[in-house]
Amino acid sequence: MKFGPKSTVMAVLTATALALTACGGGAGGGGNAGAPATTLTIGQLQDLVSFEPADAHIGHTMPYYQAVYDTLIRRAPDGTLEPMVAESWTYNADNTVLTLKLRTDVTFSDGTKLDAAAVKANLDHFKEAKGRDAYQVASLGSVAVVDASTVAVTLTAQDPAFTYYLSLAAGIMGSPKALGTEAIKTVPDGSGPYELDAKNTVKGSQYVFTKRANYWDKDLQKFDKITMKFLADVTARTNAIVSGQVDATLLDPKTGKQADAAGLTLNDSQVDWQGLLLMDRDGKVTPEMANPKVRQAMNFAFDRKTILDQQLLGKGTVTNQVFGPESGAYLPELDNSYPYDPAKAKALLAEAGYPNGFTLKIPTMTGFEAITATIQQQLGDIGIKVQIETIPQANYVPDLAAAKYSAAVFNLYQAEPWVAVNQMISTTALYNPFKSTTPELADLITKVQNGGEKSAEEAKAVNKYVTENAWFVPFYRLDQMFYTNKKITVEPQLQQAIPSIYNYAPAK
Amino acid sequence: MVTFILRKIASGVVVLAAISFLTYFLLYFSSANIARNILGEFASQEQVTAKELELGLDQALLPRFFAWAGHALSGDLGTSWFTSEPVARALMTRLPVTLAVVITSIICIAIIATAIGMAAAVKRGWIDKAVQGAAVIGDAIPSFVMAIILVTVFAIQLKLFPATSSISPDSGASAWVLSLTLPVLAIVINGVTSAAQQIRSAVIKQLEKDYVRTLRSRGISEREILFKHVLRSAAPAGLTVLSLQFIGMLGGVVIIEQIFALPGMGALAVQSTTMGDIPLVMGVVLYTVVIVIIVNLLVDLINGWLNPKVRVS
Repeated sequence: MKFGPKSTVMAVLTATALALTACGGGAGGGGNAGAPATTLTIGQLQDLVSFEPADAHIGHTMPYYQAVYDTLIRRAPDGTLEPMVAESWTYNADNTVLTLKLRTDVTFSDGTKLDAAAVKANLDHFKEAKGRDAYQVASLGSVAVVDASTVAVTLTAQDPAFTYYLSLAAGIMGSPKALGTEAIKTVPDGSGPYELDAKNTVKGSQYVFTKRANYWDKDLQKFDKITMKFLADVTARTNAIVSGQVDATLLDPKTGKQADAAGLTLNDSQVDWQGLLLMDRDGKVTPEMANPKVRQAMNFAFDRKTILDQQLLGKGTVTNQVFGPESGAYLPELDNSYPYDPAKAKALLAEAGYPNGFTLKIPTMTGFEAITATIQQQLGDIGIKVQIETIPQANYVPDLAAAKYSAAVFNLYQAEPWVAVNQMISTTALYNPFKSTTPELADLITKVQNGGEKSAEEAKAVNKYVTENAWFVPFYRLDQMFYTNKKITVEPQLQQAIPSIYNYAPAK
Repeated sequence: MVTFILRKIASGVVVLAAISFLTYFLLYFSSANIARNILGEFASQEQVTAKELELGLDQALLPRFFAWAGHALSGDLGTSWFTSEPVARALMTRLPVTLAVVITSIICIAIIATAIGMAAAVKRGWIDKAVQGAAVIGDAIPSFVMAIILVTVFAIQLKLFPATSSISPDSGASAWVLSLTLPVLAIVINGVTSAAQQIRSAVIKQLEKDYVRTLRSRGISEREILFKHVLRSAAPAGLTVLSLQFIGMLGGVVIIEQIFALPGMGALAVQSTTMGDIPLVMGVVLYTVVIVIIVNLLVDLINGWLNPKVRVS
């Protein structure tokens, strides 16, 4: 075979192009073998809406804030609260005044000092702005500056979760000069371990953070640079981590197989439970549901193990309760409350006076089609006719909150007991839209609130009550399929969909 | 000629106005939860009402539409309701990404499809059979399946290209080339065969015409007949296919952008529509319609240039 001049030129060009791309691709492959990683790239499920602290939201967007902002308290991976901006904190005797002692060596990007006045400005602003996580400061009464490094927070009522909230959105500290301005929405002004590298940031696509000079805690700066890439599509996230573009990301059971085959590390933890919220417990819309026997029948109707195996390839743990094993309110024996027993379910329906079942309307949205179809079939088997209504994703939570449906399938995270109570059980809870309660339950809830140290222990009674009275149909706790490559390590964060940025470290 | 262009532009403006109104009309009926979604689940009803007032969500359809149109006419597309980013800026960082993908793809398709289509029409035989066969396969494999295959081979196995990309107008040329190669390839493989098929039949039709025989009888070389006469007459059919493909691609690129995580218009359109970010949706629609109008105008002009008969009619 003889090459003409044209094909020679083409061959040279192709070879050069390949060589160049190989060099370019090297960044993904990462540095010299053996040397610890100096950069961390995380594939994020959700995009950042704004850097304004009042817009911060627990869950998938928290890492963006953790990079650039300090929080008053830092939560360790196992849930222990540790000092951050606040060196120490103490409650008064009746747990209504929280006094925080602050570090004195923290400054914001704009040079302003992080002192007691700045903390007050932040907490007041967070309450005032009523952002997505404003429920965290629902019990906040007033903030007083005691001296330059001491603040006293007065609560309107006891709140066992308040210090926990100060490790989340409510504890984020932004510069008082920037809070509430248009500027802080795109350019963060905090005191966190990293600063935004605006030049290499592409809004809606990738956010680059570089180590802050003279940061007060070098232990929180394990990398020189952190990049967060917003990858909405699970296929894109899988490709990105398998090809080495990102070091860590969240996949699902199906794509997890591909990651396993590529030799990536699974850091699994259980955060969410999935199941039906039986919200109309007073029978306002669906009268049949007022009878606890009907709700119990619905619990007996589901073959949870098979659903888990088929829908999630078995990646999870079947459960009958909504409180998680690490919450402190978990009762192992409750998990035997509702084994799969359609005959018993039918008998209970008959006892309740509905031998022929009834009709129930539930919503569905993108991502829930398979599970709602399964619910329709399983409840159909015991005579409950389920009508499925497809609604836009953006309307799902608002429609639930507006009490438009008697029951709905959802994933909720297994929070600290007091957080969980306020999320789905108390009358002010978002996921208790019909505001169902009984004097007995209200009593139990008050005990949790005023339980102080023993709050979680008291919550066991609440757990028992809502399980026995079938407030929900919990199916299973989902495995969080968080994968990392060999260059880094990470510790899963208790009750958090993805790890906090502090939990990452270069592999040794 | 000038009147032809003016007439086309005038009809374009009418189309633009009609589509803008239609989109606004459709969005109007799904705007019930927008204020609530912006503020989050925990905002009070008073806050939601205040936000609705601020955004003008309390007003009727027509006043709202005309307020928006008035601002749009003066060049102000407003700011995103969710991210507070000016719509024009959001579009200007994302439009180049989408246009780069679509325009590069269409140019590649045009060149390759013409070459293959002509070869098949002139040589017939096995080349023709191969093109016919490939057309079926190319049509049958959607571009997103092709994209996943390409990523698996070239990004994951061979590590030649990035699997996902974050490019913006500020990125360097090499980043653009690396980022766009696989997405463009996925679209081209899917689109080229059907375009080649169209060009093939158009060329065959021309080759069978009497004027070709006359030209041949005059002793004009086959090459000259093919490139000067046949191709010119066959071009309108090819152009129509390409312009349709181009317009189709503006929508179809959404999925390609998802797979490669490209920060283009597609992702923006999907996100803003699901959230009900009306200013952003309107911006996306407006820009897309303007592009479609420009493409159609260009195709008409090129057709006129190629074929005087079109100009007369």
